[in-house]
Amino acid sequence: MGNKKAYLGIDIGSISTKGVIIDENNNIICSSYLWTKGVPIQAVKNLLKELKKNLPDGYIVVSCGTTGSARRLIGIMTGASVIKNEITAHAIGTSSIYKDVKTIFEIGGQDSKIILIDNGIVTDYAMNTICAAGTGAFLSSQAKRLEIDVQDFGRIALTSKNPTKIAARCTVFAESDLVHKAQIGHKKEDIIAGLCYSVVNNYLNNVAKGKKIKPPIVFQGGVSKNIGVVKAFCDVTGEDIITDPNGHLMGALGVAILSKKEKEEVFDFNVLDLDFETKGYECKRCPNHCEIIAIKKDKKIIDTWGNRCERGAII
Amino acid sequence: MVIGVPRCLFYYRYQTLIRSFFNELDIEYVISDPSNKKILEDGKKIAPDEACFSLKMFLGHVKNLEGKCDYIFIPRIESVKLDEKVCTNFYLLYDLVNNLFDIKILDFNIDEQKRKTEKSAFIQLGLFLGFSYNRVITAYNHAKEKEKKVKNNNILKQTCILNNNCKKVLVAGHPYNIYDEFIGKPLIDTLKKNNIEIVYSDIYDTKNIEEESSIISEEVYWTFNKEILGAIGKYKDNVDGIILVSAFPCGPDSLINELVIRKIKDIPILNIILDEANSDTGLVTRLESFIDIINKESAYE
Repeated sequence: MGNKKAYLGIDIGSISTKGVIIDENNNIICSSYLWTKGVPIQAVKNLLKELKKNLPDGYIVVSCGTTGSARRLIGIMTGASVIKNEITAHAIGTSSIYKDVKTIFEIGGQDSKIILIDNGIVTDYAMNTICAAGTGAFLSSQAKRLEIDVQDFGRIALTSKNPTKIAARCTVFAESDLVHKAQIGHKKEDIIAGLCYSVVNNYLNNVAKGKKIKPPIVFQGGVSKNIGVVKAFCDVTGEDIITDPNGHLMGALGVAILSKKEKEEVFDFNVLDLDFETKGYECKRCPNHCEIIAIKKDKKIIDTWGNRCERGAII
Repeated sequence: MVIGVPRCLFYYRYQTLIRSFFNELDIEYVISDPSNKKILEDGKKIAPDEACFSLKMFLGHVKNLEGKCDYIFIPRIESVKLDEKVCTNFYLLYDLVNNLFDIKILDFNIDEQKRKTEKSAFIQLGLFLGFSYNRVITAYNHAKEKEKKVKNNNILKQTCILNNNCKKVLVAGHPYNIYDEFIGKPLIDTLKKNNIEIVYSDIYDTKNIEEESSIISEEVYWTFNKEILGAIGKYKDNVDGIILVSAFPCGPDSLINELVIRKIKDIPILNIILDEANSDTGLVTRLESFIDIINKESAYE
């Protein structure tokens, strides 16, 4: 046990779960990154175990924040002092490191967003709407088709001198276009580079459509690890694209920073070992049949959500 | 005799008028239940593939009225203003329902281009129901007065909100989406929960519509969308943000909302497209982020 204050931020996304612990000056003192695998509670348990192990001596975690799509579930369970949407969290995290950042590109596993920032404050954002074309899921499915490891994707793309043009409006059409291009004799590395360009063009024409993109630009999300896509972004926008080795941690960092302003209470890393149970059921009290999630702690319901009306509220 | 009125599409534009008119004539009527999942599922089963979310919901409402009424009131609305049109759905409803259901439909036809006015439609309806011309015209006039009163009252209330110091958002979209219990309610509820006051685009006096809508476009021939543009023009400087709400897939909205996003640059705009596969989670994340933008500094504390 130490006496230097530290703050925990957890970002629970659909694909990966990220956690950071920061000191009072917003420096990351330890972090962890693992797959959610569809079981956010277990993922966070593992995450906390790892963070606890890696936390240097002399620090004590006094506040915790959550973000990401499972922010509410995990926030309630860990007793987080702040639960924040990922857009604000990412903006805060990123601008704590890149003070003058104006634009954040983010391409994740299933969604992509653009965040415009002025003086550390979000002024505008956009997210992909109905379609997930051009996200990480698209790239990994194409990698599979070409039988290459998605991690080698960027490296191979950089060897191309003449990227193939691939229609990327829609994953289904991109795939048939890709097959067509391969069949008429385009080289594999050109096709791979072409895919990187199609991700970028798709992003700029859909998500970032009509947005004023001003440098400095920081590129985040799983796809930012793909150097082929980074290069394509540089080429197409004509700007420098900043990527950060900690890019995936920005959301977690953002909520950790936010949690500094909240009430302090020593954080218990074993909090999730308590007897938690979640249960999803369909409320039958009206024809809406809302899907309600109830969280039980020691067999007692501590929170529920999902109900559209009071009839479904059981607390 | 009981008349069934689907609580969907035209209902939200004409509700005061319809209710008052029937009340004046002592006609028994039943309005379908507020939208819920079952109504939507029923609608989806019978709707054509390409129908929009709102139209699917509408067909569910008709289904909901089956067996509850002798006649169903489904207006055929082609144009409510000279040289302007409304969405195609509004003039195909009558024929669509006629083909899909075995149900008696009351004739009601508004087409200003052919001089079939709202007034003449109501008169024809009253005469068909067996009332004298004088009784019908009195009922219509009274209903019209009532409609005006309600409208003025709403505008007055909205003016109070606009003069208020709180954070306000203009929710701009078709009333049949915004006020629908299933389509727009989760959005409205989330805003209210976050202490955002709502300014509605349909609570709007169309007196200066030409001028107010021309900020975005001088030539819009869809009346309903033009009214939304007018409201945006009128209210945009007095609100902290605009949320464009549309149901997927809406032709006029996809064009008009794009225009709004391109032309209005001095205020945060959020474009929300609702579809029947939506979960509220994505909606809440988008709204919360937008609310953070509106609350600016205070969201970071």
